Amino acid sequence: MALPKRIIKETERLMAEPVPGIKAIPHEDNLRYFDVEVHGPSQSPYENGIFKLELFLPDDYPMTPPKIRFLTRIYHPNIDKLGRICLDVLKSNWSPALQIRTILLSIQALLGAPNPDDPLANDVAQRWKEDEPAAIQTAREWTRMYAVSENR
Amino acid sequence: MSADASVGALSERTGFDAYRDARAIIRLIQCSRCSYPLRVPVTLPCGNTICRMCLPRSHVRAGISYPANQERQEGFTCPFSDCTKEHSLADSNPDVVLGKVLELIGEEVAKCKTESSEKPMLLEEQAVVHPSMASSGLQFDRPRSRVLHGGRLLATYTFAEMGELAFNSDVIYKPLYDDEDGGLALDMMLLDRLKEVVRNEFDCQVCYALMLNPVTTPCGHTFCRRCLTRVLDHSLLCPLCRRSLSISPALTNEPNNERICRILATICPEHLASRTETVTREEQGALGESQVPLFVCTLSFPSMPTFLHIFEPRYRLMIRRTLETRTRTFGMVSYNRTREPQGNLGTVEFREYGTLLRIINAQMLPDGRSLIETVGVSRFKVKDWSILDGYVVGSIDRYDDISLVEEERIEAAETDPARRSNANGSSSPTAQLDHLSTRDLLDIGMNFIRRMRDNSAPWLHQRVLEAYGYPPEDPALFPYWFASVLPISEHEKYKLLPTRSVRERLKITARWVRRAESQRWYSGTCTVL
Ligand SMILES: [Zn+2]
Ligand SMILES: [Zn+2]
Ligand SMILES: [Zn+2]
Ligand SMILES: [Zn+2]
Repeated sequence: MALPKRIIKETERLMAEPVPGIKAIPHEDNLRYFDVEVHGPSQSPYENGIFKLELFLPDDYPMTPPKIRFLTRIYHPNIDKLGRICLDVLKSNWSPALQIRTILLSIQALLGAPNPDDPLANDVAQRWKEDEPAAIQTAREWTRMYAVSENR
Repeated sequence: MSADASVGALSERTGFDAYRDARAIIRLIQCSRCSYPLRVPVTLPCGNTICRMCLPRSHVRAGISYPANQERQEGFTCPFSDCTKEHSLADSNPDVVLGKVLELIGEEVAKCKTESSEKPMLLEEQAVVHPSMASSGLQFDRPRSRVLHGGRLLATYTFAEMGELAFNSDVIYKPLYDDEDGGLALDMMLLDRLKEVVRNEFDCQVCYALMLNPVTTPCGHTFCRRCLTRVLDHSLLCPLCRRSLSISPALTNEPNNERICRILATICPEHLASRTETVTREEQGALGESQVPLFVCTLSFPSMPTFLHIFEPRYRLMIRRTLETRTRTFGMVSYNRTREPQGNLGTVEFREYGTLLRIINAQMLPDGRSLIETVGVSRFKVKDWSILDGYVVGSIDRYDDISLVEEERIEAAETDPARRSNANGSSSPTAQLDHLSTRDLLDIGMNFIRRMRDNSAPWLHQRVLEAYGYPPEDPALFPYWFASVLPISEHEKYKLLPTRSVRERLKITARWVRRAESQRWYSGTCTVL
């Protein structure tokens, strides 16, 4: 099946004008499947981490949102053990006017501003609310363990 | 709007020209009320565009109690002679993309002015008496003339910008310098820039291609008609501003944005043509004769009706596309609940034999759902399948009964008295059915139905007969009718679809009768086998 023009254009733009700190490269044999890297924002517990994600554009994209999951382990109240992300724009607030680029920026922003009041990973969120400094410390350690290249 | 016939004619020519068509090009961006280049354009629900400041005075609309919000209470009478309806102020928001394009055009013109050396030219307005003049705000005692600079295009824009060129007027140009080629070069450059602005800005934010049949929402955002319909299948919110859209999802009453259509047809006709061709090809691909959309839903049978309530977005799209085809048919396949392997297809979500359905009646509900009445056309077997925009499409082979000659041969062989006496020793109920004539097999079913009706079996209620009709006398069709009304499992009924002879089908229905009689469930209460 031919790839919709929209996906071709989005991919071209992602290549031509990459977003700083974000990389998304489609698989050669499946242009709907992207390997993604998101750099942890500075001043956040994820600073210096490079997080790998997988992104898949379903058949009725952009009518339905892309499917995205963290592959690198991360300690974050809105991301669960399986890497699933709790982000409104990936679910009910999706709009066809959004795109891969904007979604990845939202994910990067989510790393900069964890929201324990809208949790996916309940235990992490609880810890975040009860003892934020400790939770942040754990997030830093996980980042060092799983997301910093020397240690991978 | 019929204010300008010459633009219509222009759009049909592919090659247009900054020199010859300068007047018509500038008219594309002029307000038909105030004649200035559109200032904060608003595209009304009727598809016409006007400056926001040119909207007529609003009044409180009479007789509107729902929805009771302040903004909707205020309205005005549409000034366009082809509309004259009352529009709500809430539905008359600035046309975002058109506003941006006009701004960019203004910037390009300004740049051009600084680049242009002194190239004076006399422009004389030539008033055209036009029937719709009455609706125009500019009334002139006599045509004006001005000495302006630049090529024709730039000078005409300036003339309009000064508020001295009425929308309907023509212009006579008299160059006052020798180097007319210099002016022409300037025009070509300006036109190239305008083309670029138009091509870049009129991209639809859903498909990322040039807007095709643009529709502007009440919130002022513009999308291809096809894209907006698909969006509305999923959500009634504008994709860009997420305001809820007070329009019917099928967009039946939403006209195209007339102004944008004309700009695209005039400024980039080649792009528009290639875009139209691509979409036509895509839609044909989606509807192609070899690929049939498959609805994974229920069991349907040839010549029998199937009623469907369509609400899932992907199937709304599928049904809309089907309605646009000549044959209005799609394939119905039943859900493979038990996940049994389906021949060459392997383990798939649906069963490999299905029925082609023709839509005979479609009722589109205002919220986008639809009620569809179909009738079974013929059976098929799925050879191969893929996914298109979320639904299954398959290449199918028509699946028919063997020839009548062959049918007769089988009946003669199976009912041969010689064979019958041979089998008498070990006569299982099925073996007995094998030796009955095809007519007798039909009668088993027909008699059963007669008895059941005499007993007023609830599954043969008048309602059922009204929907499916009375049992057909045609032995080829009787089993399909029988399966449609008999309360037994889908799994059992599915056995009819892969049959290749009338006889084979009637044996199946006769077995259902025998089993029903042995279980005595039929006597009144409705139990399912
Ligand atoms: Zn109107
Ligand atoms: Zn105006
Ligand atoms: Zn579009
Ligand atoms: Zn909007």
